[in-house]
Amino acid sequence: MSEHIVSSFDAELEGLRSSIAEMGGIAEKQLADAVTALVRRDTSLAQAVIAMDQRLDALQRDVEERAVLTIARRQPLAIDLREVIAAIRISGDLERVGDMSKNCAKRVLAIADGFQAQKIVTGVQNIADLVMEQLKDVLDAYAQHDLARALDVWQRDGQIDALYTSLFRELLTYMMEDPRNISFCAHLLFVAKNVERIGDHATNIAETINYLVTGQNLTAERPKNDRTTAPVDVAAE
Amino acid sequence: MNAVSSMVHLDRGGRPGTNEGAPARISVRNLDFYYGDFHSLKNITIDFKDRHVTALIGPSGCGKSTLLRCFNRIYSLYPDQRATGEILLDGRNILAPNVDVNELRSRVGMVFQKPTPFPMSIYDNVAFGVRLYEKLPKAEVDARVESALRRAALWDEVKDKLRQPGLGLSGGQQQRLCIARTVAQGPEVILFDEPTSALDPISTGKIEELIEHLRTEFTIVIVTHNMQQAARISQYTGFMYLGELVEFGATNNLFMNPVKKQTHDYVTGRFG
Repeated sequence: MSEHIVSSFDAELEGLRSSIAEMGGIAEKQLADAVTALVRRDTSLAQAVIAMDQRLDALQRDVEERAVLTIARRQPLAIDLREVIAAIRISGDLERVGDMSKNCAKRVLAIADGFQAQKIVTGVQNIADLVMEQLKDVLDAYAQHDLARALDVWQRDGQIDALYTSLFRELLTYMMEDPRNISFCAHLLFVAKNVERIGDHATNIAETINYLVTGQNLTAERPKNDRTTAPVDVAAE
Repeated sequence: MNAVSSMVHLDRGGRPGTNEGAPARISVRNLDFYYGDFHSLKNITIDFKDRHVTALIGPSGCGKSTLLRCFNRIYSLYPDQRATGEILLDGRNILAPNVDVNELRSRVGMVFQKPTPFPMSIYDNVAFGVRLYEKLPKAEVDARVESALRRAALWDEVKDKLRQPGLGLSGGQQQRLCIARTVAQGPEVILFDEPTSALDPISTGKIEELIEHLRTEFTIVIVTHNMQQAARISQYTGFMYLGELVEFGATNNLFMNPVKKQTHDYVTGRFG
């Protein structure tokens, strides 16, 4: 992309992009640390994840403010306008990703002293591994304006939904087995749900990248494999 | 590039109710224009829809004002300037030698960059065109003047001083006076050549508001250097460069998702 006649305009857009990159880095680390804290029952790491969220929130407000100023000052058009809108949308998604990792970390603190079934924790970790890969890929796709890679992320979300569904069923059987497991399993269920929703935000970002690059919105239905809200499916267990 | 091929984008994803359906009031076909030996417009083909605002944008010297000047043949006031091809106004070629240029100019009004009121009263400025083409009783001229001043959103500001000189008005008011003078003749098409570039933002806003109203009655073509203005007030936009029509289409598409790289570079300020 050639440069603007007004070079400070380029600097403003570049500033937005690099803030998004920084937010992406923090969001990735928050999720990875939250899952590590869960697996290792590491409460101090969980505390650190909670504290990290402040920085993400501040960056999001900053991106939004600068994006609004850029619109007011430059009246951007075409790709420039889409770039600014994309920065606003993606920073919102990443801020939510941070909130969800923070919620996971809080649940790690809540269940730290109780019973833990390592097998189910591993199940959560498997979902998280997939989600982290999605997040990394979509952030790379944003940095490089790589449409194919973004659409790949968008397509792959179905796998996460399928994993979440099977974990959901597994947790139900644990809870039915012994009521003392319920508290722990309920927390873990929320952790898994949070992680699964982080995956949804990754696909949101993929959709934004599609808009950024092509100027069109994705209108097709995303492939969904989350069956946990289908009553017949669960009752049949 | 071939101007005809850019016509393909005419109806690409336009808003319903604003694009399709309206007939073309002006159809330009293979228009070439020469200032002496200089080939200023190259094979322009473009349609201007009835009761729509079409904006022409492009860097200085791209030919957008030249194209505008063809529509009322104002260029024929100068020797050595000539146009070839066809410009159909309601199906009739206005470049044909037998066209009555005065009648044409009463049907195709023009408003210029700098307000050009005549050195006479506000009333006479507006009545001037009416008297030129028609012999009407005074009461009817009065009614025409009032109607034109109202449609130009100037009546309330000048109704108590119609006998005062038009040049005593502010720049923005003078521009609206010129619009009233044009409107009073009952034209079909109004051409605006940079109508707000000499005005402050408030006066500019009033003219833009006025153009939005005028488009319910007239076919409007506006040349502007202000891209945000084109994006705000037009339904169609043509981007011109070096005498060619590079891209033409629905304004929303041209500014949000231009097809041609040159258009993209121009609207995003990357032209150099």
